[in-house]
Amino acid sequence: MHLAAQILLNGILLGGLYGLMALGMGLVWGVLNIVNLAHGAFIMLGGYAVYYCHAGLGIDPFAALPIAMVGLFCLGYLVQRFVLSLIARAALLNTLLVTFGIDVVLTYLALFAFSADFRTINPSYAGDHFELAGLTVPLAQLGAFATALVLAGGLRMFLARTRTGRAIRATAQNLTAARLHGINPRRIYPLCFGIGTALAGAAGGLYGVVSQVTPYMGNTLTAKSFVIAILGGLDRPLGVLAGGVALGIAEATTDIYLDPTYRNAIGFGMLVAILVLRPTRLFERA
Amino acid sequence: MTTGRWLVIGCVAALAAVPLFGSATMVQYGISALSIAALAQAWNILGGYTGYASFGNSVFYGLGAYGTAIAMVDGHQSFGVGLGCGVALAVACAWLFGGPILRLRGPYFAIATLGLSGAMSAVVSNLGFAGKNVGLILPLYRGDALFYELSLALLVLCTLAVAWISRSRFGAGLVAIREDEDAALVMGVNTPRYKALALLLAAGFSAVAGGIHAYWSTFLDPASAFDSTLNVKMVIMTVFGGPGTVLGPIVGAFSLSAISELLASQLSTMASAFYGLVIVLAVVFMPGGLMELGRGFRRGGRRYFLDNMRRFRL
Repeated sequence: MHLAAQILLNGILLGGLYGLMALGMGLVWGVLNIVNLAHGAFIMLGGYAVYYCHAGLGIDPFAALPIAMVGLFCLGYLVQRFVLSLIARAALLNTLLVTFGIDVVLTYLALFAFSADFRTINPSYAGDHFELAGLTVPLAQLGAFATALVLAGGLRMFLARTRTGRAIRATAQNLTAARLHGINPRRIYPLCFGIGTALAGAAGGLYGVVSQVTPYMGNTLTAKSFVIAILGGLDRPLGVLAGGVALGIAEATTDIYLDPTYRNAIGFGMLVAILVLRPTRLFERA
Repeated sequence: MTTGRWLVIGCVAALAAVPLFGSATMVQYGISALSIAALAQAWNILGGYTGYASFGNSVFYGLGAYGTAIAMVDGHQSFGVGLGCGVALAVACAWLFGGPILRLRGPYFAIATLGLSGAMSAVVSNLGFAGKNVGLILPLYRGDALFYELSLALLVLCTLAVAWISRSRFGAGLVAIREDEDAALVMGVNTPRYKALALLLAAGFSAVAGGIHAYWSTFLDPASAFDSTLNVKMVIMTVFGGPGTVLGPIVGAFSLSAISELLASQLSTMASAFYGLVIVLAVVFMPGGLMELGRGFRRGGRRYFLDNMRRFRL
């Protein structure tokens, strides 16, 4: 019973971070209709940004998150403005290929610039934890979870309350109708992609604190983000966070009761099962 | 016979003669280029003609490799029998999963197939008789010429199948599915059966490529057998050459293999980054692939590239 509760807690804490990773991907997918295979590469760049802020400049990783987010926002904005806007109306396969190409470019530029070494963002409180009702709560993981919650809530507020947020949701629902109401997708698309990459950047920084950063980490995280974005629903930030928690719990359970090698399979198993068993609901939502 | 046919036969004969005259490095490069071309051609059946972007073809490649290896190592069978086992395994898997997965469309299909490859790799790395994570070591056979000719034969066979598809009623049905699946169904195309058949064909050819590669490299582990970058290569080469055409995947595979080989010898890390850049530029400026480039360029000159860019711009 105690073990089960601890697994649940670990899964929830990890899952919050997973949810944050998927937020940006779901937003970009829902609004721009692009399945961004470079999403994991942006997460990786965020991880390196926070790593160098911490290791080089001595800034606390959590305080460095906004810096990474601003940097990644600018990068994402430019990538959409000058590359992805060229294929905005192309077939799905072509957008997949272009984002894959961007992923390759970013990954190998990162390999060139940062080397293949594993980097861990190690603040002084990295290994600290406290006891709560007999359960061990790791501090860094709790911080990551709380940050994810704040950012997801912030995104939700932004989409629901602000004028720009409403314009983004309108674009996602019906591009033609949105244009008729005076919304300019050339303004919305780069902005939205930038927000997506900024969230990826934040997720990367937090991932570096609880795990490691390497140039190759992107692909697995892209796949996980995809799974979660579908589990949670594309344009519902809190739903995505819940999807992340579901995956986190599933993974943590697999680690203990089955075998850690099944870890990556379990997420995909869940995805395939859900897609195959209940496809209609998901299609309507997307 | 038309001149075109003689030209093709001449090309195949010239390629078949490479092991007689070429150096060992050339033959080895040829084996990998030919087998990736065959894989791209197999992907073309499902992705190019039917419009189902599969990221799970590497599953069939991996199962073909594992079926061959298990039959040869655990069952002490000959390579021919092993290859048969590999193909049977992959086709059985395609038949089993094809039903539910082919009901999905667009990105959902793409990701479900990607998931299949991830799950399959995890399952295989937990099977004792498949060597778990450590892998299997196959009997050594020194004869690159044989592997070269086998790969060439596979590519020719696969291309003949695609050539048949491109002019048969079956192929017309697949193209109809790609253009509008619901309309195809209404017009009397048995879409589930057509899609399943396309998947089985792609699975069978990919499995042969996997079996040949396993015996050639004499070593097999889950990470290399179910490598998703291999699948991505199939997609990119097909799209670069021209999806839904008979010769496109071959042209794409040969030219991209040559580019990456040249780049890799010049500058190592930056080569891969450049490869990514080539993909982006190719999709933006020539989405119809190399096969369409010749025609479009003759008609419009440099404007062809700009027109492509304008066509899909926001």
